[in-house]
Amino acid sequence: MLALLAQQVPDFVRPDIDWHAAAPELTLLTFGALVTMMDIVWLEKGRKLTSIVASIGLLATMVPIITLAVDGADRSMFGGAFVVDDYALIMKAVFILTGYVVILLSTNYIAEGDYWENEYYGLLLSSILGMILMASARDLITIFVALELLSIPAYMLATWRKRDLKSNEAGMKYYLMGVFASAIMLYGMSLLYGGSGSTLLTDINESISGPGDPSAVVVLGIIFVIVGFAFKVSAVPFHTWAPDTYEGAPTPITAFLSVASKAAGFVALMNMLFVGFFGRDDVYEPVIWILAALSMTVGNLIALRQTNMVRLLAYSGVAQAGYMLAPLAVAGDVPDSALAATVGYLVIYAAMNLGAFAVVIAVARKTRTAEIDDYRGLFHWAPGLTVAMTVFLFALAGIPPLGGWWAKFRIMGAVIEANTAAGVVMGIFVAVNSVIALYYYARIGVKMWAEPAPDDDTAPVRVPVSLTSALVLTAAATIAFGVLPGLVGEVTKVSLLAGVGG
Amino acid sequence: MTEVVVFCVAAALALVGALGVVVSKNPVHSALFLIQTLMGVAVLFVLQEAHFLAAVQVVVYAGAIVILFLFVIMLLGVDKAEDFAVEPIAGQRPLAAVVGGALLAIGLTVMVVAVDGSTGTSATFDPQTGQPAETALDSIGADGQPITDIERIGRVLFSDYALAFEITAALLTIAVIGAVVLTRTVSRGERLDDLEPASFDLPPVAPHDNQPDHDSAGESGA
Amino acid sequence: MSDFLRSYLTVAIFGLVGFALVGAFLGLGRLLRPDKPNLAKTEAYESGVDPTGDMWSQSNIRYYIFALLFVMFDVEAVFIFPWAARLEAYEIFGLIEMAIFIFILLLGLLYAWRKGVLKWV
Repeated sequence: MLALLAQQVPDFVRPDIDWHAAAPELTLLTFGALVTMMDIVWLEKGRKLTSIVASIGLLATMVPIITLAVDGADRSMFGGAFVVDDYALIMKAVFILTGYVVILLSTNYIAEGDYWENEYYGLLLSSILGMILMASARDLITIFVALELLSIPAYMLATWRKRDLKSNEAGMKYYLMGVFASAIMLYGMSLLYGGSGSTLLTDINESISGPGDPSAVVVLGIIFVIVGFAFKVSAVPFHTWAPDTYEGAPTPITAFLSVASKAAGFVALMNMLFVGFFGRDDVYEPVIWILAALSMTVGNLIALRQTNMVRLLAYSGVAQAGYMLAPLAVAGDVPDSALAATVGYLVIYAAMNLGAFAVVIAVARKTRTAEIDDYRGLFHWAPGLTVAMTVFLFALAGIPPLGGWWAKFRIMGAVIEANTAAGVVMGIFVAVNSVIALYYYARIGVKMWAEPAPDDDTAPVRVPVSLTSALVLTAAATIAFGVLPGLVGEVTKVSLLAGVGG
Repeated sequence: MTEVVVFCVAAALALVGALGVVVSKNPVHSALFLIQTLMGVAVLFVLQEAHFLAAVQVVVYAGAIVILFLFVIMLLGVDKAEDFAVEPIAGQRPLAAVVGGALLAIGLTVMVVAVDGSTGTSATFDPQTGQPAETALDSIGADGQPITDIERIGRVLFSDYALAFEITAALLTIAVIGAVVLTRTVSRGERLDDLEPASFDLPPVAPHDNQPDHDSAGESGA
Repeated sequence: MSDFLRSYLTVAIFGLVGFALVGAFLGLGRLLRPDKPNLAKTEAYESGVDPTGDMWSQSNIRYYIFALLFVMFDVEAVFIFPWAARLEAYEIFGLIEMAIFIFILLLGLLYAWRKGVLKWV
């Protein structure tokens, strides 16, 4: 710390605060405090209001994000530790909208399950606050604080069904693996700081990306930081927490973890790779390559054997993380395409995966379980849900004209464009795995459409309004991204490299 | 010379303490060994002229965090013995030993190989000029007085890291809220099992308006 | 020997004197007192009641909440300290920052108080 401190200007300089740039974070922080204050004043009497206030908070946070996007200028604060650019804004919007859908999924689930409500939405908002902060963080300390802010509420939310042992197990495993990952990452960050003398990613990049071989300290630092985030995005071999946590956590939180938390891990990873480690692709590309190849292969192969829908989606999420890592394995060769491909995949993945979980929640309202066998004959008692589930599963499998197809297409485009042996082999991995994945997604489709319902029980299920709107929103997004691929293509044509010499 | 002696003693204290944390059979002893390690690290901070950090290390970590650990250890019950002879997953322990040993070897190698820093610059050198950065004692404030480390921390904390500083407050508050939620029991007389909504993974489908009155369910506890 | 280590020499001397005093008094007591142990004398004294069970016993979860609140305000003090040391240098900006910081932390305390976990029933 002293070396950094010694370089500071002699006297305290009041930092310039760009209020517009910080407005999304400040709005969300205010609403988080508001939810807590409501709880303090009204206790359980206010519980019907909290979910509404939380949704209003998220929608209000969208306002400054949109005005910033209209304004279009890149903004930077605190010497470059906090940056608002197109990439940050897109990811913030993804986090906010994901959070909104998760609240839609949660309202009935949490209220009917008789779980604590006020704290639930407060913690959800703070986790989202950590995520939107992460999208702008370009400094090791800010990244770490944002990571903790998004993780710690998530640990607690995973164990929200605290009367159920499985939920306790879920929270415990997630927490232990999470802090272990944080510790490894923090060690990596301290090595990077020791090797470069700065916590700013741009300074670190300047210091470590010089010609010649990197020093051992930097190599170890980079690997440890990547490993730390690999836990967060549940990449093999750091995925072991995911299935148990997903199964035990409340299902809306499972959706939140598998989409928002994973996306936040990717955002942090991309900040590090494209700003901090840019030019050191000789170090990080092999690591990411191995993680990507392992994740998609192992995730898909284990998913084949699952009998529980949530566990299947967990392993499918591991495989999807592999697809999203694939372009990052060639990030040094084709930085712009790789970044755009991963960001685009994240956007589409958020829509289709949230949708799949929305169906799981809706079906479980009747069947009480998430066993795949209970999806037999779903068409006979819930045709709407069956169609929606089919759309989401085929999108996840990457079948045109649904969103997942376009996302996968761009992944392939980026790895092939790199024109390296590693890139081409990665492309083959993606192609083979897509075929494997198609098998287990299609198997569920067959069960839903062709098989008879168990016990011929065809009583319909009542789907509440909030769940229906979540389904409509995600299905519309999934289809729109597929038939109008230009939409997501234009939006996610972003570059992180403005501030970097390379 | 004194610095070297103090460093060696403090480092040895910290390392022995760390080993003690791992090998102690009794978790309470582990926590006490942890205090030894933290004290050793505090002395190392003093050697780096980070007096404030040394004080923080003693006050927060040794004083508060370890106490928290001790409460948790006592809560979980030190009187309950566990059989460590059986491995829950076969082959886990040899594997853990190999991985741990490998990590230690890598870490030590890196420290020995990389004495020169990353690309020729290291933390004690200014990355731009390659000159040794001024040491803490050299820097003089605007008023001609030497700057203490507490002032240095204040300067960056309230300017460059202002946002992270405010977020830290949110983090601490969340820790309290989460701990209250997770440890809170329902009001006296009611057992948790009675309130169990269902033995399934998912909550029961009760029509929203037919819900039990939550205040009477004793959730508020107030 | 550098200045800063010399200033800590005092601390070290005080520490040693402290240990030495404790050792001296306990040692003296051991030398002077008669030593005739019997079973009743060596038993742990528990307000006159016969001791039962192990001395390690499970503690209440409530202690944990109090310890956690203590940690929280300990950390708060750590952050307030650098601000208080150079209050005037950070001007009104630092004051507002600190006000927001303390306000957010206060929410945590109010929450714990309102949820009744500070009551010791």
